[in-house]
Amino acid sequence: MSRGRSKVEGAFYRRLALPALCVIALFFLGPLLLTLSSAFVTEEGRFSLSAIVEVFSNPYTLRVMRFTLTQAALSTLASLLVALPGSYLLSSYSIRLRPVILALTAIPFVIPSILVVLGFVIFFGNNGYLNLLLMRLFSLSEPPLRILYSYKAIILAHTFYNFPIIMNLVTTYALSLDRRQEAASYTLGASKRRTFFAVTLPRLLPVIISSASLVFLFCYSSFAIILVLGGGPRYTTMEVEIYRQARMVGSAQGAAALSLFSIAVTSALLVAYNRSQRTHARQEAQSQPLLLQRRPAKALARALALLYTIITSLFVLAPIASVIVRSVYGPSGFSLKWYRQLLGFERASSHMGTALAALTNSLAIALVVSILAVGLGTSLAASIQRRRRFGGALELVGMLSMTVSSVIIGLGYFLITARLKGGSAMSYLLVVMAHLIIALPFTLRVMLPQYRKILPVYANSARTLGSSASHAFVAIELPLLKGAMVSGAIFAFAISMGEFNATLTLASSTIVTLPIVMYRLIGSYNYQGACALGTILIAVSLAVFVATSTSKGTTHA
Amino acid sequence: MHDRGLVCSLGASYDEFTLNAEFAVNEGELACLIGPSGCGKSTTLMLISGLLPLESGSITLFGSDLAGTAVHHRQIAMVFQEYALFPHMSVAENIAYPMKIRGTKRAQRQARAEQLLELVSLAGYGKRRSDELSGGEKQRVALARALASDPQLLLLDEPLSALDAKLRSHLRQEIRRIHDQAGITTLYVTHDQDEALSIADRLIVMRDGKVVQSGTAQQVYHTPNSHFVATFIGEGNTLPSTVIASESAGANQVIFFRPEDVRVHLGEIGEYLPHLSFAASVVERQEFIGGRYRLQTRWQGHTIICYSARPIGTSTLNLSVRMRDILRFDEAKS
Repeated sequence: MSRGRSKVEGAFYRRLALPALCVIALFFLGPLLLTLSSAFVTEEGRFSLSAIVEVFSNPYTLRVMRFTLTQAALSTLASLLVALPGSYLLSSYSIRLRPVILALTAIPFVIPSILVVLGFVIFFGNNGYLNLLLMRLFSLSEPPLRILYSYKAIILAHTFYNFPIIMNLVTTYALSLDRRQEAASYTLGASKRRTFFAVTLPRLLPVIISSASLVFLFCYSSFAIILVLGGGPRYTTMEVEIYRQARMVGSAQGAAALSLFSIAVTSALLVAYNRSQRTHARQEAQSQPLLLQRRPAKALARALALLYTIITSLFVLAPIASVIVRSVYGPSGFSLKWYRQLLGFERASSHMGTALAALTNSLAIALVVSILAVGLGTSLAASIQRRRRFGGALELVGMLSMTVSSVIIGLGYFLITARLKGGSAMSYLLVVMAHLIIALPFTLRVMLPQYRKILPVYANSARTLGSSASHAFVAIELPLLKGAMVSGAIFAFAISMGEFNATLTLASSTIVTLPIVMYRLIGSYNYQGACALGTILIAVSLAVFVATSTSKGTTHA
Repeated sequence: MHDRGLVCSLGASYDEFTLNAEFAVNEGELACLIGPSGCGKSTTLMLISGLLPLESGSITLFGSDLAGTAVHHRQIAMVFQEYALFPHMSVAENIAYPMKIRGTKRAQRQARAEQLLELVSLAGYGKRRSDELSGGEKQRVALARALASDPQLLLLDEPLSALDAKLRSHLRQEIRRIHDQAGITTLYVTHDQDEALSIADRLIVMRDGKVVQSGTAQQVYHTPNSHFVATFIGEGNTLPSTVIASESAGANQVIFFRPEDVRVHLGEIGEYLPHLSFAASVVERQEFIGGRYRLQTRWQGHTIICYSARPIGTSTLNLSVRMRDILRFDEAKS
């Protein structure tokens, strides 16, 4: 009731949104419009629908579209099949390992895709640790698993990367449900089985759908995994094809026409995701979970839980651990050679030679990006939260760049660089802005819920005690937001450090960042060098992981 | 007559709710704004403080019009229902906050904060954090912080509603004492009529966004100007006016009288001043409410509430009420 503010009050919060809106308009909508409009413009500069017609009639691009959707559907289905039994197990029995498994399943949220690819190759590859282990166990002379560079590899990598996401979302939600409704069902005479299908499952359906559509979205716009593991034009997806058209074929028009299709699909998916999320938020609003005793696990359930622990750690932890091990332990034994090369203490071959520059570049870019993202995120969050009528619209604008894959964002910037001649300073600026546009929605999503917890009455109180609107914001709200700002900054930093898709699409070969050099090292089969760089990325991801799991408890209600 | 004090004429409209309230508070008075929930009490405070925009009307405080003044220049402090102590500051820092904004020197700030803590009986609490305080303590710190801004007007929005009954009655005496010592004109919002009657110099009764009556507690209690005010403040009996034989049937009027004005006769009703009698009322319930008994009786289909000093042994009673204690109102709307 007392949330509104006077017109004078609104002015301050209206101005607060301006910087973020300018950045979004200039660095997201601008390049995007440029990209989309070039779908209709021929190289001679005339309006034409030929590129669009070409895209939708060419059997090759049609096959790419079909493959993209099929692999995403298969990957999502596989992820659901692996995840849902695990969720059932974790949410209906009291299992001691539950916190451990849940913590493990949170890891894929923060791991950059280039690291997933590297871990997959190192662990599941023909000469990977899993094959070595199996060969030693069963004294085989040939590696038994040959899954790299195939359809199977793509589906498997997507499943391993994404099933923990479904498991995490569904389990966390199921655990938060009010169990009195199940209790009521039992007292009305329904069996456990009946209750599960009639009461529990329908309530879980929205979260299952929303997590599945999220995973479908990830698999649809997956780039690094397809680029490395797909092994060529046979298994190529829309995102890879957009990149290929723009950077290898040199057809900006073709790439733009493909982007149109891609944006339509991702927007539809995000709308579906948002809608299903809102339904389950509405359905289960304000229910205090009742701490009914969960069923003690029987031997079978305990065994299955153990199996899930092993599976999740195998698929989540083992590839990551392999990267760290491989960075110091090669065929010739323990060696810090790759770190010495990385830090420039030892002369290195071509790609490894740029590693130190890539590291410092990545750190500098990520630092700038995180500062900008937190500044814009905080002011935008304040504006969203304190403006009654336009808050919803502002939030939508802030999240807008999520509807567009980072490859397409990169494409827009690439089209700009083709017209500008600004040298490397300009290129780095564009990399920073692209990372900022990609990181901003995530920072906003981290900060908004924290901001919502700060009662408007604090600022109101400061106002009646003599603070101006801006002083109340700086002296009262910002200190209360400190925790959210730190986690928002860490998030933005990690996203920038691991950003690969947009950077590869937009940057000239003179610009190097950590993931780009890792990609080149993988391409030239220098896995150990890639692993040394990967270990640094792991450290950054770990920081995010710790920050996100501790920040939950430190808010002022 | 009100150039020394607060004079309000407030107009603002919201979805499905329009506020149109006029009232005045004299200098140094403690006025209670009272009414059922949703009547616009809190909105009134938000409008006076400037946290909500005024669409029409005026707010005059000690002769100057505040309508165009920004919140932080109004010198109107407000204690919120949730107290809103800043969680990242200690008690002393909270109290020093308004002084810091005005640029008061550090030593002076500290001295004044200690003085205010003493005023609200919390001497020595300065270093505590707000989450270490009980509800009552938070409430008093919020009051001290509001006073530290040297306001010309103090607004209290249901300051005791989050506390338990015993603490409430103690703290309302405290608030009265602090008000008398600080001498600040105060507007106090509550929905609790006991609280309002016991603490206020003036009652301002609101209903559906309008002020329906304003006056001292005695005026409002004894001469309510509508049936709504009569039943909202204190308990009462409402009967159709046709129960008085001389009144013509069909007039849409009700009669109203307080339970304490009802005389309970154990025998016959004797000859005395003009009165209305309710012979052979059936006792439906009697409850001991401490010090006396509250009787619920039924007379010709009407419920009559009255008090008795002693428990009643019989099943029927003769009741009467003096004509001068009977109020007449138009048909009750509620």
